[in-house]
Amino acid sequence: MSKLKLGQSEIKLLNHTADFGVVVRSPSLEDLFQDAARYMVRSMVAFPEGRGVLHRTHLDVCSADLADLMVRWLGEILYLFQGEGQLLAAAEVEEITSAGLSAEVELIPFDPALHEIRFEIKAVTYHQIEVAEQDGCWEARVIFDV
Amino acid sequence: MDIRLQRVDANRWKIPRTGAMRVDGLIFSNEHLIKAVREDQSLQQVANVATLPGIVGHSLAMPDIHWGYGFPIGGVAAFELQEGIVSPGGVGYDINCGCRLMSTALSAADVAPSLRELVPALFTGIPSGVGSSGVLFLSKAEEAQVAVRGAAWAVQQGFGTPEDLARTEDGGAMPGADPAVLSERAVKRGLDQLGTLGSGNHFLEVQVVDTIYDAAAAAAFGLSAGQVTVLIHSGSRGFGHQICDDFIKIMGQKIHQWAIELPDRQLVCAPLTSGVAQRYLAGMACAANYAWANRQVLMCLARETMLRTLGITPRELGMQLVYDVCHNIAKQEEHTVNGQKMQVCVHRKGATRALSPGHPLLPRIYREAGQPVLIPGDMGTHSYVLAGAKGAMLETFASSCHGAGRVMSRSQALKRARGRSISRELDDKGIVVHSRGKKTLSEEMPEAYKDVSQVVEVVHAAGLARKVARLTPLGVIKG
Repeated sequence: MSKLKLGQSEIKLLNHTADFGVVVRSPSLEDLFQDAARYMVRSMVAFPEGRGVLHRTHLDVCSADLADLMVRWLGEILYLFQGEGQLLAAAEVEEITSAGLSAEVELIPFDPALHEIRFEIKAVTYHQIEVAEQDGCWEARVIFDV
Repeated sequence: MDIRLQRVDANRWKIPRTGAMRVDGLIFSNEHLIKAVREDQSLQQVANVATLPGIVGHSLAMPDIHWGYGFPIGGVAAFELQEGIVSPGGVGYDINCGCRLMSTALSAADVAPSLRELVPALFTGIPSGVGSSGVLFLSKAEEAQVAVRGAAWAVQQGFGTPEDLARTEDGGAMPGADPAVLSERAVKRGLDQLGTLGSGNHFLEVQVVDTIYDAAAAAAFGLSAGQVTVLIHSGSRGFGHQICDDFIKIMGQKIHQWAIELPDRQLVCAPLTSGVAQRYLAGMACAANYAWANRQVLMCLARETMLRTLGITPRELGMQLVYDVCHNIAKQEEHTVNGQKMQVCVHRKGATRALSPGHPLLPRIYREAGQPVLIPGDMGTHSYVLAGAKGAMLETFASSCHGAGRVMSRSQALKRARGRSISRELDDKGIVVHSRGKKTLSEEMPEAYKDVSQVVEVVHAAGLARKVARLTPLGVIKG
């Protein structure tokens, strides 16, 4: 399992035979959700920092529990790319409970001349989804359909 | 749950029913292939599927089984209509991902001198890659027509001929499609993706028939040794992904009211008698029809590109559809269970329908030979054409394998490919490859897949489908 750092979080890649999975470990729940989203977008598309016109928007996501929230949150970010052509540049989770989150996100329009596509994520799955607190840190396990 | 695997015979393995399992698991595999299966989590997934309400027969897996999400890839399960369920994860995000094979009147020698121009021309002529837009931009009303009429809509627009529809599973249109159940997001994502190949393991391959195993069936399918064929692997694109995603979330909110215990949240499902299940099936049919229209358009784009690049007439090209078959679907079908005929909802997640000779759903041209079953391999070895056989009707709800099946994760494949040029390695074998990036080629390199010949030998020996022809790649495009 290879590891890398992103923001305050540590990302481990899972060896899933057909799909693509990660374990994200972060000091706070906010960091966990922010960095999971940033990692997902950066794994799909390489884009230079500070290029492109940023715009900010607000997202509210409702959920049944934290694991459901992770799938729905990442699903929203994925849809912004797939359906609206907007790449997440930054996210700030302002409020989070097991029932939902509110976040300010910064988006950049996808530009094929500037942004290199690495691979496609079709969907965020519930397969083996986990979000839990362990030893003072928050950890999430997410498997994507690719 | 501890998975106990018992060998039944040279090609069958059983997971005896334990715990919450309602039926046994039955895996078609041989001594060699089962080793890799034991190493991932797919056997657990076979056992998980066996716990779902209303499952009948066995929780089945084909020899290309590997770890998926929820259902294993290569999984087949049938559910009784009154007590059973439908699971969007048991169909997959790429609803009606499938294969389409075309024969031509060309020989390998006709194509060889132009192959280095033809493959890049196909890559340019057929939109591919993540989120690619097609040559068609649909209005919402047109998209609704595609969703209901499928391949017939494409034919009406001039993409192909009515004869193509008889050579397409379900005539290229699944009944029951209702665009009214679709979300705004699904509708939006379908508007500009018709006629696009996609990315990942989707491809178009120019091939040559190198071996005929069953001369009579090959003749019925219009295949002969030395002939050039074209194989397309694609699906319902973002339209289908969104429909699956929407219904997984809807069912997730309702699962508690049906008191269904799930060993994996991705197995979320709804009783077939419920309104939400019926709405999912109506939406799934929209995506299935979109996928058939998509492959119909892709076939015509390939035909136009070949005519232009090779500078030949349609008559000289002689391109004809052999068959189009899906491998991610849920369908209501009649099967015999415990000696009784019954209607069931068959989920095929990475598995191909394989109707045996004489089946009433077969077009007249294939009624004697059986249904063509298209098995793409990896891009460095072979693909196969099989014909459905009696054993599939008896044991697997008329299902067979769908491909080679991955054996290596994408990150393992990337590691293995480091410092190598997969493109050059394939070129050295006489296979011209054009892809959007080196990464896709590395992830999809031949070693990442099981030996497709072994997979096919298992279904042949088990009597699920019989070998008809083997195809060798000459040129490949990947998104």
